[in-house]
Amino acid sequence: MSVDAFDAEAGTINVVAPEFTLRPHATMLEMVERCPVARIQYTDWPVLSRYEDVAWALRHPEIFSSDLGELLALGNVRPMIPQQIDPPLQTRYRKILDSQFTKKAVNRIEPALREHARNLIAAVLDAGECEFDSAFAIPLPCKAFLEFMGLPVEEMDHFLALKNGVIRPDAHPADLARCTELRAETGRQIYAYFEDLIDQRTRAPREDLMTYLVQVELEGRRLSREEILDICYLFLLGGLDTVTATLGCNIAYLAENAEQRRRISQDSGCVEAVVEELLRWQTPVTLLPRVLKQPVDLRGVHMAAGQVVNLMISAADLDAAEFPRAGEVDFDRDRNRHLAFGLGPHRCLGSHLARLEVRVGLEEWHRLIPDYAIKPGEIPRVSPGIREFQYLPLVWPGVA
Amino acid sequence: MKLRVDLDLCAGHGRCYEIAPELFGEDEAGHCVLLVETVPPALTDRARRAADNCPESAIGIE
Ligand code: HEM
Ligand code: SF4
Repeated sequence: MSVDAFDAEAGTINVVAPEFTLRPHATMLEMVERCPVARIQYTDWPVLSRYEDVAWALRHPEIFSSDLGELLALGNVRPMIPQQIDPPLQTRYRKILDSQFTKKAVNRIEPALREHARNLIAAVLDAGECEFDSAFAIPLPCKAFLEFMGLPVEEMDHFLALKNGVIRPDAHPADLARCTELRAETGRQIYAYFEDLIDQRTRAPREDLMTYLVQVELEGRRLSREEILDICYLFLLGGLDTVTATLGCNIAYLAENAEQRRRISQDSGCVEAVVEELLRWQTPVTLLPRVLKQPVDLRGVHMAAGQVVNLMISAADLDAAEFPRAGEVDFDRDRNRHLAFGLGPHRCLGSHLARLEVRVGLEEWHRLIPDYAIKPGEIPRVSPGIREFQYLPLVWPGVA
Repeated sequence: MKLRVDLDLCAGHGRCYEIAPELFGEDEAGHCVLLVETVPPALTDRARRAADNCPESAIGIE
């Protein structure tokens, strides 16, 4: 079992252990109960896992700051906007961005999204098997994102290379120097790509999100070039990987739970609730980093100012104090205030877009492939941090 | 039954207008807008569910 990743005696959790990334639930349930302030093995950073504590931290950015500086550089040379800056400045940026990401605003891409999903499924349907990540989970959000930003869908491969170069540089994770170098190199390419786009849309405006960023006014002035770049950089990183991870997490769960899966085919009205409950159960973005602006004493643990703290939203979403029968997947929950999209001022800007992508992805997949399983004899591989099922081989009965 | 929304707390999760679109709408930024003040009796359950599911506990019921 996965319980080994958590050392209750030492109060440490090994979040990169493969048995933890693949089957984290037992470990997280134990952590929430026995060790609400544990420490991450290797970095020694405190990690909060109770719903109440995590929600409190997310609502108090003046104590738990997102301004991590150099600590978590992803090839960017300035803080990403709005994620790595604090209110009140962060709130001002959200004022101009929120309107572009409302439910109404994202719904316009639904027809194109559905068509993309159908095409992706059609390409694998007859084969009776596929590797889900590369066949569906990666390309679907990427196309949706390009569509949403107003960028050419033909450039998908280039986009994926940019994103991967930052998130998973092509070097051994322990070789930090090389990873940093590769991230910086990719970062320069990302800046260059969006610099060019800013020029294009300034010269020839269109009806798209890029043009909006070039034209919008923030308290009486246009955004600077750097501000636009810092926003786009985050869109690229935040908009692709997370939805890919969510789709993989959901399908992996449903592949192993036939009864729950059948609900989707039998009752199309339940998909929204399925999406919410699986967001709670899988919380694919697992850890949110913050840095303390002042000392904090919590549950008998002292944390100094300047300390990096991890908020383990994936564990908080299994806290029985907030979710009755937290260890069970239940599509009929009356109340589901999961933290998969965060909380408070940094609530995921893309949550409505993400929900749409995941719902349409699940609907279309189950319409054509209602029954499927993980390929016998194969073990899926899951990345730590953002739980992407990087290797998820599926099989399904052939179609007559 | 009456509804209140604390807009200082609302962060635009949109659970309320997903669950009870007859009672809650969204403004330009996706934040909650009350469509009614007094909830018709037929919708009180739904109003409660919406309030229960607001992650920011921004919706009050009297
Ligand atoms: C299911 C998929 C997704 C999940 C699970 C997810 C999760 C999250 C979480 C937990 C946060 C809070 C971060 C923090 O408090 O430090 C966040 C922030 C953010 N997300 Fe997402 N996200 C998803 C999809 C998207 C998409 C599609 C976009 C579109 C561009 C996006 C853009 C952002 C942005 C811009 C922020 C920063 C908001 C701020 O700091 O004010 N996300 N996301
Ligand atoms: S659910 Fe709560 S936070 Fe979300 S829009 Fe409604 S009132 Fe605001």
